Amino acid sequence: MRVLLKILALAIALALRPAVAGQYETFDYHVQQMIIHALAGDMASVQTFHELLGSLRQPEPGDLQQARSFSQQGQENLGRGNLKSALSAFRQAFIADPADPDIAGSLALTYLRLNRPREAERLAVYALSLAPAQATHWLTLGEIYGQLGDAQRATGALINAYQFAQDQPRMAAQLRQLATTHETDKVRIGALQALRAISATTASPGASNNPGETGRPVQAPLPDPQPGEIVRTEGSSTESPRQKVYRHAIPLTCLIVTFQNGKTANLGSGLLVSTDGLVMTNSHVIEKAENLAVRCGDQESRAEVRRRSKTPDLALLATSLKTRDSLVLNETYNRDLVGLDVFVIGNPYGLEGTFSTGIISGLREIDGVRYIQISAPISPGNSGGPVLLRDGTVIGIATLGSKVGQNLNFAIAAAEIVNSRFFDPKRMKSGRLNGKPRVD
Amino acid sequence: MRNVWLMFISLLAAGFCISLVFAQDSERNRFFVQQMIDLAAAGNQQGVQTMQRMLEQNSRPTALDPAAANASVQWGQAALQQDRLDEALKAFQQAVQDDSGHVEAFNHLGLLYRKLNRFIDAERALQQALSLEPTRAGAWFQLAQIYGLQNDQRRAVGALANTYLYAQNPMKAEEILRYIAEDEAVDALRNAALETLHLYHLPAQPAIVPPLAPNPALFK
Repeated sequence: MRVLLKILALAIALALRPAVAGQYETFDYHVQQMIIHALAGDMASVQTFHELLGSLRQPEPGDLQQARSFSQQGQENLGRGNLKSALSAFRQAFIADPADPDIAGSLALTYLRLNRPREAERLAVYALSLAPAQATHWLTLGEIYGQLGDAQRATGALINAYQFAQDQPRMAAQLRQLATTHETDKVRIGALQALRAISATTASPGASNNPGETGRPVQAPLPDPQPGEIVRTEGSSTESPRQKVYRHAIPLTCLIVTFQNGKTANLGSGLLVSTDGLVMTNSHVIEKAENLAVRCGDQESRAEVRRRSKTPDLALLATSLKTRDSLVLNETYNRDLVGLDVFVIGNPYGLEGTFSTGIISGLREIDGVRYIQISAPISPGNSGGPVLLRDGTVIGIATLGSKVGQNLNFAIAAAEIVNSRFFDPKRMKSGRLNGKPRVD
Repeated sequence: MRNVWLMFISLLAAGFCISLVFAQDSERNRFFVQQMIDLAAAGNQQGVQTMQRMLEQNSRPTALDPAAANASVQWGQAALQQDRLDEALKAFQQAVQDDSGHVEAFNHLGLLYRKLNRFIDAERALQQALSLEPTRAGAWFQLAQIYGLQNDQRRAVGALANTYLYAQNPMKAEEILRYIAEDEAVDALRNAALETLHLYHLPAQPAIVPPLAPNPALFK
């Protein structure tokens, strides 16, 4: 009788399927059924839909070798927290071999870490279509639903994560960790409800005394550096002053891209002058732009023009970027500057983050605007970028180059900005030569 | 003597008529392929499938020498793998002469013309492949790239939409579309991929700062 009822339920469920369904919709339907039945505690039906999902046509395997190589790159980047590089690598791995459930699952996880739960959901469902009993994919899916604000479905998916886990005590520990430490409420709620549901059906939800089963990665002790080995760490004392300037300024230097008719029109440089996303550049960089985008360090944002003027050739852009630091404008403008080393960072011809050096060759006033003449090379794409002193302060904004002669380049003096309507003393920082702050 | 002339003239006329019919067929097929692109770009999948069926009703051209055509395709593929593009081109051109219904040969010819930046020839070859096999997702994808490189975003959208529609593995096609929508330096192609994802209501996150094109000023 029970078997008959089960078959009847299955028949009704299948009859309720949409008449015309795409491949993904078919996978999703089975996965959702497994979630619904897990929530209802009907593990027999979960098993039935698991078998049905497993019987669907599997995709053709692709280039396994290429996929493995990309996947390895993805794992390395994921481990280092380079999520964008991990995404790119896992995508290429998935395209090379869409039949590997581990690759599809890793891609889903990367989307999740990048806070893209909708893409993550599709890939996790797809991964489950390839390996419906893979507990880690269910765990990822549970976290995805939590992030999407659906605690109920998160619960169902996490119950399945536990049910399909080969090492249930370890999975229970992972669920407990999600329930206590995850930053998203609905993920915590989902994990908690899943643990309750599991404990209602089992005597002990995998309580483990084994410290290796806490769900946390085991950290191996780092080997000591060998004698003579150069240790390169952030802020290392082996860095040259130039390297210190570069390390300090590169995350605060921006690539500016302009768009016209939805297409890339121009590239330039800029600098973050406030911690709440104000970016200074040249006005000519954003000429005729309909839309603007900036990338400063690892962060990207759309931008809007806050202020601009033709003379001096300046523009101030507002972005949504939030940083801990911003560049300091050095308002010194006197003969003491001549002969000092300068460093230019920018994006000449789109070569992002190009660092070059020179000296201050002179001070010039052109059309009533104070310029710093420098010998450091400037090319199209450098415009709007910072010209820095050794102490990391900005002495000018790269603006002009002479078509005749050699190394005759000009930056609008930072002093010109500090004494203009572009400068907001509440949000921007200024300093003087030999004054604080210093990079080294 | 008069009879010989009459025979010659009638043969010439027959040949002209046959070539005209073939030309008309080819133009008609190209028209259907273009219709499939336009309808796909407009989100009209039913229309696309109607055009597909019309193309599929065409009878396949008779092959002059199918064995020779297959041999030429194999030769062309080997040359293509070793980057001997001129040799590969000759091989595929020979293959389509020996068998004007050889989809694989037309598809490779399209790929090769694209590599050689001969976009108009590439478009024609791929249209020919698609008129023979309108569900060939790979040929639609090649065609989309050609339109993208030619800055024709609308047709790139149509061709990409058909790539997705006919893809054997839609999830792989979806991920390829996202890859293009985020990582492609050619604006028209990147925007077309994004538009295609929107057309199918698939999640996508457009690049805020688009990838930069390789620097044309660099030299070795």
